[in-house]
Amino acid sequence: MEMFLYMDKDSILHKLDPRTKIFIMLISFAIALMFSSLSLLLILSFLVILYGALGKVLSNLKRIRVILIMIAIMSVILWALTYPGTTRLWGPVTKEGIIYGIAIGIKFDVMIIAGMIFLSSTKIEEISLGLVKLGIPYRPAFAFSTAVRLVPMIVSTSYIITQAQKSRGLDLDTGNILQRIKKYIPLLIPVLISVIRQANILAMALESKGFGYSDKRTSYLEIKFEVRDYAFLAVALLILIVAVYFKFKYRL
Amino acid sequence: MVVLVALSAGIYAAVLIPFKGLVLIPGITEIRPANTLPPVLGLLFGPAGAWGSAIGNLIGDFFGTLGIGSIFGFIGNFMQAYIPYRLWRNLGLLKADDLEPNLNSGRKIFAYTVVALLGSFACALTIGWGLDLLKMVPFAALASIIAVNNSIPSIVLGIPLLMILYPRVKKWNLLWTDIMEEDEISKPDAKARIAALITSLAILVGLFGGLMAAVAGGQSLFAAGFAGGKAGLASVGFIAGFSTIIFILASLL
Repeated sequence: MEMFLYMDKDSILHKLDPRTKIFIMLISFAIALMFSSLSLLLILSFLVILYGALGKVLSNLKRIRVILIMIAIMSVILWALTYPGTTRLWGPVTKEGIIYGIAIGIKFDVMIIAGMIFLSSTKIEEISLGLVKLGIPYRPAFAFSTAVRLVPMIVSTSYIITQAQKSRGLDLDTGNILQRIKKYIPLLIPVLISVIRQANILAMALESKGFGYSDKRTSYLEIKFEVRDYAFLAVALLILIVAVYFKFKYRL
Repeated sequence: MVVLVALSAGIYAAVLIPFKGLVLIPGITEIRPANTLPPVLGLLFGPAGAWGSAIGNLIGDFFGTLGIGSIFGFIGNFMQAYIPYRLWRNLGLLKADDLEPNLNSGRKIFAYTVVALLGSFACALTIGWGLDLLKMVPFAALASIIAVNNSIPSIVLGIPLLMILYPRVKKWNLLWTDIMEEDEISKPDAKARIAALITSLAILVGLFGGLMAAVAGGQSLFAAGFAGGKAGLASVGFIAGFSTIIFILASLL
């Protein structure tokens, strides 16, 4: 089962330093937050999609399409019903509400797509090393990368326990959604206990390998800024400056 | 300790991820039964559980809701576990000679309910204030939804979960009091008691004062809050923001 978004491709985006990709992602968040204008958010969406296309990772959009569509639909419904507009279309629904709902849906979706592009083109080890190079202490960065690796193991453990209980006659497939959630709750306990037990083994393995012996660590994986990183950062900063200029000059 | 951080984060993320599709506020939050875990992790593993909750929430965000709100989500989820850990021993709700989080008495179950509620409110206050400040979602809508969304599972499911997990974790010597050095374990003295009281007061004033200011400013609670007015009211920013800073500083004392 492939849980994570990373796609191993030969693209310029994959070759960028993880710090560059973190900065570009943050800049896209900042620009998305600055505007609620539909046309400007569509331009930003186009730029983000173009950036993703450079990394050949847009096929991952299929994997998060349900979330993106849910966000867009919920946003349009919520804002169409509640936004205080003047052009009434039907009941409480206003034209302004629908347009605002679409804009907010795009705003959230574009941030999520920017996050997806980052995760699809950056390995967990690169994210961890990038965080260390940005000044995050090694221990939290190590905890982060270990936790990410633990998630599939926990899911796999829960799957095994579920199958074991099903083979003993536990019926998890009937009933409404609440009844089915209720049936899953007792399964949480053996999963948690099994995982906590494994933590002891992991701790001993780390101790035996001298974890924490020295603050100065070397890394098998090396990252450094190249010309392409400076080029991508320069373009991203230029777009940010233009966005800030438009924001204040034209009060968009 | 680092293993417990990773373990807590992994468990929290693994329970969060399957519910990512059940959206409550688009791009911000969803139905989260996983919110049972932060107070339990905080009481069992201490600071490691709190860091684990923060990192676990961030990993959960990687599966569909990574955005600027993730920064406040990181702090809020840290606080949802850290506040119960800090207040459990220091708020004065328990007998000084029995501070174990084993929920073997009505008094301890009451104490758990209080600290879990305060943790949930701290999380709601932090995230609600942060996203209102960024003018993304009105404080009254978001803080009220998160407060309810966090409180119910953390109490209804958190109590039996802690009752079941405590004996095992204690047996394996994985409780934070077994792992941390003796001098790192804070004593429940007068200074700690005052800090705990200030923390609790700031959380309650920030959340409920902020909600009152938001409603007075035209916002509404829960889903209706989307119609109550736009986010970013100065009065909400002042009350909720000031209280957030105070409770974070007091909880670190």
